[in-house]
Amino acid sequence: MGKVQTFTNNQLTIDIAEEERTITVHFLGKSILRDPNDFVMPILLRTLGEAIPARKRIVMNFRDLSYMNSSTLTPVIKILERARVGEGQITVEYRKSLKWQDISFSALVIFQTPDGRIVIEGTD
Amino acid sequence: MGPELELRVTSDWTEMGRVNQAVSDFLAGCGLPTEDVDKYTMVVCELVENGIKYGHFNQEKDAVSVRVWIAGRTISVLVTNPVGNYSRTYLSELDRTIQWVRGFQAPFEAYIARMKAISREPLETDKSGLGLVRITYEGRAMLDFYLDENDTLSVSAISNLE
Repeated sequence: MGKVQTFTNNQLTIDIAEEERTITVHFLGKSILRDPNDFVMPILLRTLGEAIPARKRIVMNFRDLSYMNSSTLTPVIKILERARVGEGQITVEYRKSLKWQDISFSALVIFQTPDGRIVIEGTD
Repeated sequence: MGPELELRVTSDWTEMGRVNQAVSDFLAGCGLPTEDVDKYTMVVCELVENGIKYGHFNQEKDAVSVRVWIAGRTISVLVTNPVGNYSRTYLSELDRTIQWVRGFQAPFEAYIARMKAISREPLETDKSGLGLVRITYEGRAMLDFYLDENDTLSVSAISNLE
């Protein structure tokens, strides 16, 4: 396992782990940030900027998030769209057995691409 | 009269952690299943976030008031806060969003439409407008609001427990 960078704001922690073929962005805790655009967006943008030239897939792992306000979903949506129309590869992982995660994240399937670059994946 | 929770929340954003925990504990204490606890905690928190963001607080006594109660198979949420001139744009958006959501056959369609609209917005735009739509989709709640003569805004969300 490569180096892990940890970013924390209020009750939200984001761990970034870079491996040979993937960069995992692991969300933990609760996201009740007032301005996720100031905290989450720069992290996701920088990760996307590093992943594309290295041809690495970003894995956004939300499985250990216990609460997320709707504002937090905004940067996620924008990064997915940016990757969709560009060359990014992103997998969104969520916990299907958690009803709120299933309802919130399964709707992101609209950003999924037929070539498998963008994948929305709910697992138990 | 069923179980009821009342909270007074200052305009300090750090209050959101306390609100989230208090509502979650209250709903769990009412015996609601975990998925309902999560769902209605989200409904309350999204409304309180809007109250703090767009309310007008210039006196010590000004605050966001939260009331959550269960009667039979209905859960009701009422979030009240003072508003001022600064809040006018939000009030128009609130009215427009509620009407807009009602124009869809299913809340899911509104949620998808809002997500698509957000995806086309510039990266630096931090306003999502997703919270109210999420309340109707994920929370299966009927939204309404009322502005009284003292410039106090009351936003309600009513939902049937499944």
